[in-house]
Amino acid sequence: MQRQGEEKTLLHRFAENLDWLLMLSFAFLLATGIMAIYSATLHYGNPGKFFATQLAAVAIGIAGLVFFTSLNYQIFRPPTYIIYGFSSAILMSVLLFGSTVRGTKGWFNLGYFSFQPVEIAKLLFILALAGYLDKHWRDIRRWTKLVAPLALLLGQVGLILMQPDFSSTLVYFPVTLILLYVIGAESLYLLALIFFGAIAVGIPLLATFFKLQPALLTAHPVLKYLVAATHGGLPAVLILAGIVAALFILWWFLRQMRIHVPFVTFAVVAGIIVAGSASSAVVQKSLKDYQRKRLIVFLNPDIDPLGSGYNIIQSKIAIGSGRFLGKGLFSGTQSQLGFLPEQHTDFVFSVIGEETGFFFTELAIMAYFILVWRAMVVAREARDRFGSLVATGIAAMFAFYAVINIGMVMGLMPATGLPLPLLSYGGSNMTSSLWAIGILLSVHIRRFTH
Amino acid sequence: MVWQQEHRLSYQDYLEKYRAIVYLFIGLFLFLSLRLFHLQVIRGKHYRTVSEQQRTQIILERAPRGVIYDYKGKVIVGNKTSFVALFYPFSQEMSPPQETIKCLKNILPDKNLAARLTQGWRSGQVVRLAQDLGREEMFRLQEQRLMLPGISVIREARRDYRSPEVNAHLVGYLSEISKKELERMGHDGYRSGDWVGRTGLEQLYDSALRGQDGGWQIEVDAYGRQTRLVRHISSTIGNSLHTTIDARLQEVAARALKESPTGRGAVVGIDPRSGAIRVLVSMPGFDPNVSFQPEFAGYMNDNSLPMFNRAVQALYPPGSTFKIITFAGALSENKVNIKHSYTCNGKYTFGNKTFKCWEKKGHGTVSLSQALARSCNVYFYQLGLRTGPDILQQLARKFQLGQITGLDVLSEKAGLVPDTEWKQKKMHESWHPGDTINMAIGQGPLWVTPLQMASLISAVANRGTMYQLHIVDSIVSPAGETVYSFQTRKKAEVKLSEYVWQALASAMEDAVCSGTARACYFPDLQVAGKTGTAQNPHGRDHAWFVSYAPAVNPELALAVIVENGGSGGGVAVPIARRIYEAAFNINTGGAIKADAGAWEEGVEKPLAGDNVEVSTTPAAAGKRQQ
Repeated sequence: MQRQGEEKTLLHRFAENLDWLLMLSFAFLLATGIMAIYSATLHYGNPGKFFATQLAAVAIGIAGLVFFTSLNYQIFRPPTYIIYGFSSAILMSVLLFGSTVRGTKGWFNLGYFSFQPVEIAKLLFILALAGYLDKHWRDIRRWTKLVAPLALLLGQVGLILMQPDFSSTLVYFPVTLILLYVIGAESLYLLALIFFGAIAVGIPLLATFFKLQPALLTAHPVLKYLVAATHGGLPAVLILAGIVAALFILWWFLRQMRIHVPFVTFAVVAGIIVAGSASSAVVQKSLKDYQRKRLIVFLNPDIDPLGSGYNIIQSKIAIGSGRFLGKGLFSGTQSQLGFLPEQHTDFVFSVIGEETGFFFTELAIMAYFILVWRAMVVAREARDRFGSLVATGIAAMFAFYAVINIGMVMGLMPATGLPLPLLSYGGSNMTSSLWAIGILLSVHIRRFTH
Repeated sequence: MVWQQEHRLSYQDYLEKYRAIVYLFIGLFLFLSLRLFHLQVIRGKHYRTVSEQQRTQIILERAPRGVIYDYKGKVIVGNKTSFVALFYPFSQEMSPPQETIKCLKNILPDKNLAARLTQGWRSGQVVRLAQDLGREEMFRLQEQRLMLPGISVIREARRDYRSPEVNAHLVGYLSEISKKELERMGHDGYRSGDWVGRTGLEQLYDSALRGQDGGWQIEVDAYGRQTRLVRHISSTIGNSLHTTIDARLQEVAARALKESPTGRGAVVGIDPRSGAIRVLVSMPGFDPNVSFQPEFAGYMNDNSLPMFNRAVQALYPPGSTFKIITFAGALSENKVNIKHSYTCNGKYTFGNKTFKCWEKKGHGTVSLSQALARSCNVYFYQLGLRTGPDILQQLARKFQLGQITGLDVLSEKAGLVPDTEWKQKKMHESWHPGDTINMAIGQGPLWVTPLQMASLISAVANRGTMYQLHIVDSIVSPAGETVYSFQTRKKAEVKLSEYVWQALASAMEDAVCSGTARACYFPDLQVAGKTGTAQNPHGRDHAWFVSYAPAVNPELALAVIVENGGSGGGVAVPIARRIYEAAFNINTGGAIKADAGAWEEGVEKPLAGDNVEVSTTPAAAGKRQQ
């Protein structure tokens, strides 16, 4: 008695159910990354070392990937606080026992290699946050329920800022916001948060921008006053009072016209503006010199053409000069002659752009998009809410890393020192990215009812 | 329906959000793709042209470091221009043509030239070919420049250490940053190849002294020729340090030490009114100007330890200079009366040991004051026993012996003031009266640095007030803004009665007028001080002299030590004399007013038993002629 087609082998089932598009895009990116690193380090004096180290990181990462895929992701759901505590513990221990590299105490130096705990903390945070949100999704519409997730976020971000590592905290914010949105938090509250963040970060950015154009300031004294106010003190208080007063008048006026806007709305908007401005003063003060420089250079790369501006100028030249077909593998003049600093890490995308041209580079961008998209599909088809959240978090993480790095490299965003996952040289980031994909696959292969 | 344990509706809600996020991602990536398209397809031709024709290289112009001044504004460390030959690669060939190498070798004699040239070619990095070019070399390079593509000469600032040996330990020297340091400090603007300060002010104030590098951006055409200078950004000099040091006195002190019997030792001079360090010299010194030359390594192998900063790191027994503390301690605790006399006949027996005075025949009957002025050991042996070790230790610690002074230098030594506890712990023995006897005259396991002794005598000059010692007065930016300014502040106070201070001061003035320090007598300047000849187990005695002047309202306190120099009165005091002459503009024509042969203290051997050779020249007794 044969039951045709029913007794499929484990391998057969595995092959059928795997998301091949996901695997293909991730393998493509991995391969591209290794080639790019080889090319970028060709003239470094010991290119084999980088190549080998990266391969080693890939090997460790893949081992982890297989491990996490076989592990049932659902075991991460119950111990939310333990995961969060563990993550905080390793972040604290690097502050105590870690080594300082380039001004940041964020590395554990273990002799032959070193790794950054923040890369692992990232994944743990996604798992912890997803777990928390899954348990509390019912009331998430109320704003009081947002306090806890935000506290979790700020807790981790605070520990990372103590290293101090400003760039690594960037990805935490969009991931948290997206997860909150997806789980059903009230969009209005999220918008309020984004508005607050925009003010806190936007004001220093604008102030820096205007300070770079003293001519403009002298021509418009009002502008000058506004810019001076960003440093706090009496002018700031006056301007804020003025804005609040203006809003109040607007609200009252609307009221007179029978357009009923609840007072709460006005209070909240005014509150956000004041709080945001206050925070912007804090941000302004805590900006380190080199970070300020990065901002300035982003707004006007010609200001420091021999220093930080140099990177961005050269990067754009490198990418642009690739044109459609590129200059050929290992033949990029900008990279081979050493014009591009950090070309094996932050600027690896420029090397790809220069050597392979639009045709292939666009494929790389699309590969990233496919990776992110398939991750979202995994989220959509997950068997439970927790799985969807975890997968969404991982998708958001990859998406924003890619956007921030590729954006910077093309001059769309200020330099942040964030690597490009799967492509940039960097063992910690590579292994954590591969482990993330492992967790993703774990959610993916368990999507059916068994 | 996918979520297995949830209500259909909540999954539908989720689907809506899901779609929104996917659209967000689509939007972001589309945006990136458009930008890529813009850069590579629309503007691609432009960028290709730029990358091919306008290849630019950056040649760094290293910033000169800030100038270090003495307190009168004289330059101690400055900068001078030197010419550097650079090579920057322009083409992708694997090695430079033979003619270029040959031509270059004719002008610059350097065996490694070919290797460095090739390495530069391969790595695409700018390579330094030679430094401190002479004018002739520079002209020849210019002449032959067609044969030497890619080679140019630029000006650079080099450190210029005035009076190098004199100030070496004070200012330190420079060397190239190491890989490990670069990893740690790369963020703060340190680059590979940068020079950082080592020891001294150069290291301690390195970040303030560093300037801001500038550079040239040079355009190179397809043939590798410089087509034009795109832009030149000037470097900015670092902040300048205004120190409290007196450069002239440094020279005098250094020369005097050099001419001493051993040429090794230290001088520390303090202005007691503020804690400002006027003199900090350690001999032998070294030449920081040659820190980048191979001969610099020779200093490390030199047995006389020129790299060792004796002023703050060498530990010596204070010898008779410690009698100041015995004197003050005994008097202030009423363990002795100012008029108390004792007869010294050259020997002192305690138990079954005999301790000797350096004056074989004995000093005869002396009062407390005379005993200090003539440095009678026997008097102080019995004084020490009457006073007891605890008072001595406590007073020594009040004068900050056994601790670092907190001066803005690197790695001071703290020294040691032994006490009962210490002896029990380290030597597993209890304290003997014999140890007290040793301590009373500054021998035994008692260790001080010249800096600490200067601090002590400065405190005595000030009747107990100890100010925080400092070398740097202010740091000024190139624009003239004062970035840092030291505020004089009191660090500690040794509270003794006016009576005790006066007695001590008189005794020390006597030491100069008629006692062991007569070589420092001036008719118009009253100096007060105490000599010391510290026995040391490894060789000849160390010659000490601590002093201050003028005795009323003192302006300068000095501690002089000549390592293995022998007699304090004979060797250390004349050095202090020369410094005071320079400081107070006294011209005595070099003649020392003391009578024939300086009044020398001989070898002191407090641990009796053996008969020790007392190497003194017989000094005429009695006071010097007025």
